[in-house]
Amino acid sequence: MKKFIVAVCMAAANLAFAEQDETPAIKPEQITRGAALYGQHCSACHGPRMKDPEGAFDLRTFPSDQHTRFVNSVTNGKASMPPWGGLLKPDDIESLWAYVVAGEKK
Amino acid sequence: MRKLLLGAALCAAVGSAAHAQTQQELTRDGNGGNTDNVLTYGMGYHQQRYSPLKQINKSTVKRLVPVWSMSLNNDVGEQGQALVYNGVMYASNVKQTVAIDAATGRQIWATPIDWDPAAARIVCCGLSNRGVALYDGKVYVASLDAHIKALDAKTGKEVWKTKVAEWKEGYSITSAPTVVNGVLLTGMTGGEYGVRGFVAGYDPQTGKELWRRHTTAGPGEKGHETWPQGEAYARGGGSTWITGSYDPELDLTYWGTSNGGPWGANWRPGDNLWVASVIAIRPKTGEIAWHYQWTPAETYDFDGNNENVLADITVDGQKRKVLMHADRNGFLYVLDRTNGKLIAGNAFVKVNWAKPRIDPAIGRVEETDVAKRLRAGEQVELQPRWTGGKNWMPMSFNRDNGQVYMAMLEETAIYQINKEMPAYKAGERYTGVTNTTKARAPGEGGYYGALDPLTAKAKWKISSGDLPSWSGMLTTSGGLVFSGKATGEFVAIDQDTGKILWQFQTSSGINAQPITYTLNGRQYVSVLSGLGGGTSAKRETQGKVQPGGSVWTFALMPD
Repeated sequence: MKKFIVAVCMAAANLAFAEQDETPAIKPEQITRGAALYGQHCSACHGPRMKDPEGAFDLRTFPSDQHTRFVNSVTNGKASMPPWGGLLKPDDIESLWAYVVAGEKK
Repeated sequence: MRKLLLGAALCAAVGSAAHAQTQQELTRDGNGGNTDNVLTYGMGYHQQRYSPLKQINKSTVKRLVPVWSMSLNNDVGEQGQALVYNGVMYASNVKQTVAIDAATGRQIWATPIDWDPAAARIVCCGLSNRGVALYDGKVYVASLDAHIKALDAKTGKEVWKTKVAEWKEGYSITSAPTVVNGVLLTGMTGGEYGVRGFVAGYDPQTGKELWRRHTTAGPGEKGHETWPQGEAYARGGGSTWITGSYDPELDLTYWGTSNGGPWGANWRPGDNLWVASVIAIRPKTGEIAWHYQWTPAETYDFDGNNENVLADITVDGQKRKVLMHADRNGFLYVLDRTNGKLIAGNAFVKVNWAKPRIDPAIGRVEETDVAKRLRAGEQVELQPRWTGGKNWMPMSFNRDNGQVYMAMLEETAIYQINKEMPAYKAGERYTGVTNTTKARAPGEGGYYGALDPLTAKAKWKISSGDLPSWSGMLTTSGGLVFSGKATGEFVAIDQDTGKILWQFQTSSGINAQPITYTLNGRQYVSVLSGLGGGTSAKRETQGKVQPGGSVWTFALMPD
């Protein structure tokens, strides 16, 4: 019984995660815009074009199915990364997401 | 009789404790003052970081042991130098200021330093705080969001708080304040965010601003002709993020200034005074008495902020009042501190952007073909890297042998100025450069060295380990040099040979500033441990060294 409950809960959690994490479709112009925003705000720590990330998170390894995690981290900050929600608007963050998951993989 | 003497001693102790620490004590700190105290950033207004103490020496150092350690509850890095007054240690990081019983390591008070976490986005190089100032019963500390406050030294309670600048416009403070000639001084940082640098003077009793000396020459000022027309000077950088030294006799305080903004000098043609310079300031008024520019038309992110160490040394048989400075640009300078004239300027690490010796007759660096190609828009391999031949971690001047001891960096940048000038937006990055680091073998990037200030020749030079060291140095009359490693070892080095005589593994990486002092006749050495700093240091240490701040204090194990 206990195992069953755990299994159901895990399935529910996965479902919630998947639903929540449905990644919006990426448009090519978002990638271009995201690259420019990345260059301005992110590259100093995460490295030019995401290469040489200087000790910050290597964004080339960011899981492409964790859109919510990305948005939360950028908006609210994480570890030594400051919160960017006061400066970047939601569509800016979507553009960054587009660049991070697709921009350097072309 | 014995009781009477004891009573007298007690009265003296109480008298001294009740007595708030004075300008005279500040002036004598590291200059014949009581070795029980460390009252100033740099262990003296001269910032020599030298102590006449020798109980801990080459023979006894083998008995050096930790006597206490205290957590600072901070995982973003400890760069600070602690101060000690009447048996109380005062230390700070970006999150709090603490007073500690120096004999036992027990906390007396802790006062949080509060700031909007979003302010971290206008800090280029780590969430840092390098220490406090003490004066007249108060502890002065600055915050990342560009405020300065005075705390009651006994209780830690806030006495006043003043906004120095607006963080949303890119201004922050990471340096320790200082009080000289009765004026509280602070610098600021933000050279990557289009700020206009300044040093500001405040009334230590009330926090009222007395003057503000901008470090880029504005319209109508001498030096403005070194800027293009328009607003370039108003966001031209020149931040002041390392505490100035001070000569009480000349009544001049010496502040280094940072890189220009944006990084690419092609967008601000001219020498750009007083960027990447040292300025000698009158502390009562903020007037600039003289300046010397380390890197004219600076385009390399070679901040000129590193400590300006003051000493009287013999040059060509004559005693001279000098200022010594090891710049990010790779040159070790000796200036006449009465007038700013160059006495010597020599490369102390590999330098490829300029000729390795500055001709005193010319008085300024001569650039090479590498610099010309970079300025023309080519990608170049640049030595030193933008982090410099030495960064902020302070050197020590050893009065016993006249040498300077420092942690040096030898890295190569791959560096190019972007084609398009960055758009200026308040509080956003304003650099316009693409820069990465050339790969190198482990153990090659950092060194400790003992150098002749006039020639920059090393008496000895040793690797600072697997990772470059970003730790300050302390020399003592015991023949020892104290410093720390990024991997956490606190080390005592033989000043004459460069041999590591003793080391102790602290709890995290060391990128701070050791001090030494006495309590009841016993010599102590203290240092903050806690990995931190900017991305350039983090890229080396990430995943290899655990963060976490604490104070460590050492003394000789009794026989």
